Parts: sequence; C-alpha cells; structure tokens
Amino acid sequence: MAKKEKEKKVRDPFNPKREAKLIPGYVLLIIWVGFTILALLWILAASFSTSPEIMKGETMKFATGLHPENYAAAWTSNNIKVFFMNSAIYAVLGTVFTILISAPCAYVLARFTFLGNKVISSGFIVAMSIPQIMIVLPLFGLATKAHMTGTKLILILLYIGMQVPFTTTFLMTFFANLSRTYEEAAAIDGCSPMKTFWKIMLPLAQPGIVTVGIFNFMNIWNEYFISLIFGATEKNMSVGPGLKSVLTSMQYTGNWGGLFAAVIIVFLPTFIIYIVLSEKIIAGVTGGGIKG
Amino acid sequence: MKKNKTMIICFTLPAIIVFLVMFLYPVIRTTMMSFFSMTSVSDPMSTWEFVGFGNYSELMKTSIFMTSMKNMLKIWFIGGIGVIFFALLFSVILTNGVRAKSFWRALIYLPNIISAVAFANMWIYYIFQKRFGMLHNIFAALGLDKLARTDYMNGDMKFWSLLIAFCFGSVGYFMLIFLSGIERLPQDYYEAATIDGANKVQQFFRITLPLLKGVFKTVLTFWTVSVVGFFVWSQMWSPNNSESQTITPVVYMYNIVFGNTGMSERMPGKGAAVGILMALVVLIIFFLVNRLFREDDLEF
Repeated sequence: MAKKEKEKKVRDPFNPKREAKLIPGYVLLIIWVGFTILALLWILAASFSTSPEIMKGETMKFATGLHPENYAAAWTSNNIKVFFMNSAIYAVLGTVFTILISAPCAYVLARFTFLGNKVISSGFIVAMSIPQIMIVLPLFGLATKAHMTGTKLILILLYIGMQVPFTTTFLMTFFANLSRTYEEAAAIDGCSPMKTFWKIMLPLAQPGIVTVGIFNFMNIWNEYFISLIFGATEKNMSVGPGLKSVLTSMQYTGNWGGLFAAVIIVFLPTFIIYIVLSEKIIAGVTGGGIKG
Repeated sequence: MKKNKTMIICFTLPAIIVFLVMFLYPVIRTTMMSFFSMTSVSDPMSTWEFVGFGNYSELMKTSIFMTSMKNMLKIWFIGGIGVIFFALLFSVILTNGVRAKSFWRALIYLPNIISAVAFANMWIYYIFQKRFGMLHNIFAALGLDKLARTDYMNGDMKFWSLLIAFCFGSVGYFMLIFLSGIERLPQDYYEAATIDGANKVQQFFRITLPLLKGVFKTVLTFWTVSVVGFFVWSQMWSPNNSESQTITPVVYMYNIVFGNTGMSERMPGKGAAVGILMALVVLIIFFLVNRLFREDDLEF
C-alpha cells in the first residue's frame, strides 16, 4: 500500500496549476493538524517544566532548564507505575485470549455451513452495537455473586468478552478470503481438519490477527467505563481512571509538571505503536464489519 | 463429516459461551430489572418488587435526567452535523490528489488512539485554559479582547467546550469510514463526468454523495452508538460533581447505581430503565436511518 503510493508520487510531476487548486485543502489540513501537534508539544513541554512556570504560561521557555524529575515523581509517588502495569496486564492478556477464542470460531463460521452458523455470526454483529450501559448492571451482579469484584481477573474476563464479537467478525472476512487449496492439500496429506487450522490456517491469517490484535490492545489500554466500575480500587485501576485520580489529587498538591508527565506516560505506549503501525491500525478500523 | 462436527462444536463453543454470558443474559436481565425495584444490583430476583413502568415514568419526572437527555440530543444533532461535515470535507480533500495523504490521514485519526482522559487533559488545561491557554493567546494576539477573556470551562460555555473537544477527536474516525467508501467508488464515473464537463463540486454532489448512501448509514449508526455511550468526556469536564451542563444519561445512570456523589439512595431498577431507553434510542435511529437511506440495488 505504502509502496504503491510512493511510486505514484514519483510518476506525478509537479503541476503548478493542479497544485494551486489544492491550496485551500492544504491550508485546512495544516490548520487542523497543526492545532493537534501544537497542543501535544505544549503538553510535552509542560511535562518538563515546574508548576510555577506552567502557571505563568512560560512552558516553552525552559527558564530553569528541563525537569525530568517530574517523570520520576509521576511514576512512583502518583502511582502511575501501578496503573501502567495493570493496563499492560489487562491489554496483553485480554488481547491474547480474545484471539484464542475468536480465531477458531471465525474460521469455522467462515468455512463450514452448519445449522446456526448465520445465527451466531449475526449475533456477534448485534452484540457490537449494544451499548455498554445495557449490559453492565447484570455483569456487576454476576461478579459480586462470584466474589470477583476487586480482582484483576474480572477485568481481564470482561475485556475478553467485550472484544470477542468484533474480533470474530473481523477475522471471519479474513479467513473467508484465504484459498481453500491449502486445506485440500493438507487433507490429501492426511492432516486432520483441527490440525490443519492450528498448523496451516492460523499462521496464514497472521496479518489479520496482528491488525485486530493491535486494535484490541489499544482499545483495552484506553478503556474507561468498565475499568472505573470494576476496578475501582487503586491497586486494580487501569491508566484511564488512574490518570483521573492523579488529576483530582493534583488539584490539592499543585504539582502540575507531574500531572503532565503522567499524561505523557499514559499517552506514549499507544502513540509509539501508532507511529510504527499506523497503516495496519487504519486498515483495522475500516476492515472489520464496515461494509457500507 | 463426524470429525467436522466435533471441530465445529469445539471451535465455536468458547465464543458462544462468551456471547451468552456477556451479551444475551445481561440484555434479558437488564430488561427485566427495568420493571422492578431493588436496593442493590446483586439482589436475587426473589427480593425484587414489581413496579411496572414505574421506573420509566419516574425518570420522565426527574428533571436532571431530562436535562441529560437534552444534552445528549444536542450533542447528537449539533455535534453530528459538525463531525460529518468535517469528516466528509477531509475525506474529499484527501482523495483529490493531495500529497502525503497517509501522513495527514494518520494525524487526523491520532486523537482516537490516545486515552480520552489524557486527551481531555490537553483541552482543559491548555487549549481552554483562561489565563495562558491556546485560545486565550490566539484571541489576545488578534486583539479580540472579549473572546480572549471568555472562560470556556464555566457557565454555559462549558457545554460548548465539551462538545468541541469531543467532536474534534471524533472527526478522524468518521473520516476513515468516508475515505474507504470514496476509495471504493469506480474511477470511470469521474472520468466520464470530467469528459462531459462537470467540475469537481458538481461531481461531488452528483456522483460521490448519492453513491455514499450506504456509508452514511454506517456513519449515522456509529455516531449514535458513540453519543449514547458518552461518559468519560462528561466526567472529565465535571470531575467532582455532575453538573447540568455536562451530564449525560450514562453519567446519570452511573451516579444512581454506582455513584458516591452525595446521593444516598441507590436505584438499580431506574438505572436499568436508563439502559433500556438508550438501547431503544439506538434501535429507533437504526430503523429510521435504514428507511431514509434505503439501498437501491446499485452494483459497482
């Protein structure tokens, strides 16, 4: 994809008349994107400044030099360390188990015709548009009954459940596009269907799995509502509610540099993934379920 | 064939269990809960007290809930127009031969991959900050004193600043949906139109828009789902107490079921009724949209 665009660029000679027509478009893009970049840069600058500097609006001057100690303060005394680790656990385990549950199901739904196939796949599509507010109360009741409130396990289970419908639907289209000749060849060589899936089809679906995996990872990392309800204690909080609690306490301590350092710490993991894999992530947004 | 049967069962069973426990059971139970009154979410069904439509009629009489519905409607309508306008505008700009297309696309989508809490911080403590914020500086530099002195985080402005911040982030997502729709349109339509002398604007209104019908359906449905779930932004704008300018139905539900903001009585039944109403909103919009944008069997 990226390669193709590059080639096109080389072939496209600079045509002043054509480019002139695009100027209003460029101006709009620059204003919109410049606004985002400027605001993010300010946060970055503020995270290296002292609180008085921030309050005076002199963040970009660095009159007293850089203050990386803000990060140390945010990481340890503000508990960001705990929230960060929690989110990492939720996101990694949630993503891995979602794929282990969804991929086999997606494969069977895409490849075999059987009674209930349509019901299951449309069930997942409906599940994707059910508002969370509609299901959260009984889930909380179930968690209380199972004595799982206040544990990390319940959040991992919920995140797996939340991602399964989208992941299954996404991988279904992916498996449907793989050629059947692989399975035929495997069957001739005496490989059982189940073994064929784990040994041949799953590795072949790797690009799709990576895309949906990154997508799920970021979703879980940034999730707020479920985490707030089921992980209300400080030791189970993920970065979303965690950052908000830092904010609340910051209004009393007044360490603004530390707050912005915390913002940057929470922001960095998904941002770095995005820089490296933005093409894949964008493909994931438009690939699954959205057929228009 | 027998082998396939066991495989089908083994492979689909975990996902089916997830579906039953995580989606089907909660939907049924929430629906039932909305007709009963109880003191705690985890109360067994035998202790529930049947109240019929009592929860619903009480909600209609609760002014703060009606305010939250009004806020949601305003976000849906005004925000929706803004978001769809900019998303469509950027997708058209990006498909008209702009250089470095993937760079722009990636940056416009960027707010969607950032934690909403972190992103909201940026808006509240920098862009809308009244003494050294970005808007203050811009307006002050332009000599617009009145605008520079506006406090965006208080009074009536609070709702609008919240709306702008939320919509700004949403544009990228809907732009991607429009982009993938436009890119799938066959190029020869445009070539034919150009030969016939149609300019870009005419091409947009006569070819692009009518062919994007299906995409509009998707966009409106997704926009509705995202507005119905409006929660974290509202919490960030009113971190300590929910205020009438920023409250939404989900926030209201959170307050009456899980909240600890001074409301002593917890009302899970009413909370469930809010959930049902929200699901109904999504359903109604979904059907309306399907009627409005009925698919003419276009093949391309």
